[in-house]
Amino acid sequence: MNVIEIDKLTKYYGKARGIIDVSFSVNEGEIYGFIGPNGAGKSTTIRTLLALIYPTRGSARIFDKDIIKDGHNIRKDIGYLPSEVFYYDNMKVIDILKYSASFYENIDKNRINKLAEIMDLDLYRKIDDLSYGNKKKVGIVQGLLHQPRLIILDEPTSGLDPLMQQKFFDLILEENKNGATVLFSSHILSEVQKLCSRVAIIKEGRIISIEDIKALQKNNYKKFKIDMGEAVNDDYFNINGVANLVKNASVYSFLFKGDINQMIDKIHGKKINNLIVEDPSLEEVFMHFYEKEA
Amino acid sequence: MNILKRELNSNLKSLMIWSGSMIFLIYAGMLKYSGFAKAGTSVNELFNQFPPAVRSMFGLGELDITSILGFYAVFYLYFMVLAGVHAIMLGTVIISKEERDKTADFLFVKPVRRSKIVSSKLLATLLNIIVFNLVTLLASIIFVNMYNTGQPITDKILELMLSLFIIQLIFAAIGAGIGAVINDVKRAASISTAILLSTFIISVAIDLYKKIDFLIYLTPFKYFPAADIIKTSTYSPSFLLLSFILIISFIAITYLFMEKRDINI
Repeated sequence: MNVIEIDKLTKYYGKARGIIDVSFSVNEGEIYGFIGPNGAGKSTTIRTLLALIYPTRGSARIFDKDIIKDGHNIRKDIGYLPSEVFYYDNMKVIDILKYSASFYENIDKNRINKLAEIMDLDLYRKIDDLSYGNKKKVGIVQGLLHQPRLIILDEPTSGLDPLMQQKFFDLILEENKNGATVLFSSHILSEVQKLCSRVAIIKEGRIISIEDIKALQKNNYKKFKIDMGEAVNDDYFNINGVANLVKNASVYSFLFKGDINQMIDKIHGKKINNLIVEDPSLEEVFMHFYEKEA
Repeated sequence: MNILKRELNSNLKSLMIWSGSMIFLIYAGMLKYSGFAKAGTSVNELFNQFPPAVRSMFGLGELDITSILGFYAVFYLYFMVLAGVHAIMLGTVIISKEERDKTADFLFVKPVRRSKIVSSKLLATLLNIIVFNLVTLLASIIFVNMYNTGQPITDKILELMLSLFIIQLIFAAIGAGIGAVINDVKRAASISTAILLSTFIISVAIDLYKKIDFLIYLTPFKYFPAADIIKTSTYSPSFLLLSFILIISFIAITYLFMEKRDINI
């Protein structure tokens, strides 16, 4: 079953582009990445899914219900962590969490303490006095409190130190294991790489590609770095499937997509000083994408 | 219930400050009255020497401010302006503050309909202006009785407070409507202030130039003149109807725009 189904969702702010014809679907139990540079339309898509803003065209369904008509019902089972977390001042952390809990049925009150302990969050401090990172933690606890079936994360890790990020990822993975579906928006590819099974790539408001992360990374692209011991043509490695070819003195580096034996044949019989073949980081794969699409 | 409680809580401090100020104002006013009452007719002569513009700005008009009813009626003008400011700002801010404080991403992703959020906020506004009105009523009754040497005027105070309440409702509804239509809280607040000021200026202008009294419909301050209420103990049915239409329309606007508009932070 698809937990999220987005069909040609389009949003204009007046004349300014928000998103155009965004379509993708997220399976139940999946951790789905949503990747793109700042301003590409990630938050617009998410805010539309939450019915904070209304689409200009197109539609979307969550739990097989219309996001606009059934928004209030859908949101019972959504946990949302916005990129910037703001809360009513003058309230203690525990007050805001209890206030948040009051909107949901059957809340397990012990969960507040449990989540706060994992995230190392002091429940009795005032929201005003919290640092950015600590506010973010409040957001995380608040978003996961009601054991949502769908967790929507918009740039969740900014402001968290690496240790907390790891704890946060573990928490998300655990929720996922317990059945929660996750939509994870980010512009940091390595964190998406760590968690997600599939990823939608958005650029300038349009989805330019939807990829299986493992396929993208393992099966397709290899990153070559060859230090040639003899002179070859600048174009020598520029065969079908090669991208981002850069020559730096005698060192050729490029991404290669295709039958690896082809490349071995090219190297065979040539004198080389050094050869490195590795899986490219998603960053590099995407850079290639962006350059190609640009 | 939870949203209502939150709104009542967050407005409690401001309500207490407003209530305290009203109590002090009424106390100080009645203290001043006791001075006027002693000075007797010379005060009326003094005020009669003021140019008409100044007189009507202070709401003096034809009233005899050495009588307690006359004095209270003049005083009532200030209640209206203050209650108007309180109501219109409360209505404006309560609707649009979630976007200003960026708490909209908290509240509007909760599993509630927007109309329920609006209802809770409007109900909180209603309770706030009721408290404002009751505090003004009680303080008036207490301090008026303290300095009144003649006939008791409690029934007149009650009648005036009822019209004050209608004016509060009108301004609160206008404020909420503006808060819903204009999604920038600063701009909404300045528009609300501008509306309140212009309605007040129009009401003063009408006193000065009788020729423009057709503008009376534009200013709730003129719907139920204190002097008429004191004299006749009645409210004009046509202005009651107009008040009702205004309140309902602006509340409808509030729901309509909040339901349809984008929540941006």
